Amino acid sequence: MPIVTPGKRPAPRFQKSKILGGKMTRGHKSTNSELNVVPMVDMFVMLVIFLLQQFSATGEVLYMQKDIKLPDAQHGQMIEIAPVVAVSSDQVVVTGVKVADIRELDSDSGYLNIPALEERLRDEKKRWEFIHQQDPDKKWDGVVNIQADKGVPFRIVKRVMYSCGVAGYFNVNFAALEAASTVAPGEPAPTPGI
Amino acid sequence: MGGGAMPEQGGGKRKKKALDATINVVPAIDLLACCITFLLYTAVWTQISRLQVQQLGTGAPEIEQTDAQKQLIVTLAMGERGFALSTSAGLAIDIPNLGRGADGLVRFDLKRLGERLKALKSSHPDAAAVTVSAEDTVPYGDLVQVIDTCVGAGLVSVAVTGV
Repeated sequence: MPIVTPGKRPAPRFQKSKILGGKMTRGHKSTNSELNVVPMVDMFVMLVIFLLQQFSATGEVLYMQKDIKLPDAQHGQMIEIAPVVAVSSDQVVVTGVKVADIRELDSDSGYLNIPALEERLRDEKKRWEFIHQQDPDKKWDGVVNIQADKGVPFRIVKRVMYSCGVAGYFNVNFAALEAASTVAPGEPAPTPGI
Repeated sequence: MGGGAMPEQGGGKRKKKALDATINVVPAIDLLACCITFLLYTAVWTQISRLQVQQLGTGAPEIEQTDAQKQLIVTLAMGERGFALSTSAGLAIDIPNLGRGADGLVRFDLKRLGERLKALKSSHPDAAAVTVSAEDTVPYGDLVQVIDTCVGAGLVSVAVTGV
């Protein structure tokens, strides 16, 4: 059914009549009104430009958690996709699965490794090897992201790092919030890596 | 705006066509709305960076260094007392901490450490590696700031180890 203008509609035989057809439509305002969409288009364009500037192709690798407050860093690099070991003041979590309790780590014997963390990371490594078994050019880089609360003592971080190393993840990335860099205009920014 | 480009009327007898054309902006609005929805859905609001470190003694492959880089070994120990910066060339500098903050944690003198590391880098431009040796009680936040200071001073290859 077509969309028609609301109001009185004369019968088709009256529409052609000069007498009756005119009476029916006289004095009626047109119900069509033109909307000025230019400001809306301007706003949309500005929003798209702003959001494109914020866009990150890698996506969200690390999710901010309430119990983890990251430290600031000015000379960090762009984060890359890798297994994430989240260390809060209460627990150690790998890719969403809790593997250790900080209290137990503090109270147990002086072993450096965390067996559950090692096992979980080995599973991740096996999964990576299975995915890339048809791709011999892809070399294992052993990258792991450690997302720890800034109040966590180094004795915990050290054990996490050691477990990562034993499981084959020797390339550790410490996660930090990106702070504004204060590199002078003439001074070249440091290039990571040798 | 388009009115300024209208030709003068009245000169010619023939009625000219209007130069204003109506552009249908509905597809453009649809496209923009889709773009905004997609970008809002995929937006990353928190900018998280990473500081790459090596760990010593876990069988990790060592970073290839040139002979000039191997000549100087820089070690930075950090603990309750502050920093102890030493090199294989015989340099040994102690940078005491700034006391304790209101929360009871040790406040490290990162500014002075940065100055010392920059001076070291300027005297040994080939040096790019540093080993940070931290005590067990050092918080992760302070460790990250020290690594950040090292990278900012040009010592970009940082290895972390315990005391």
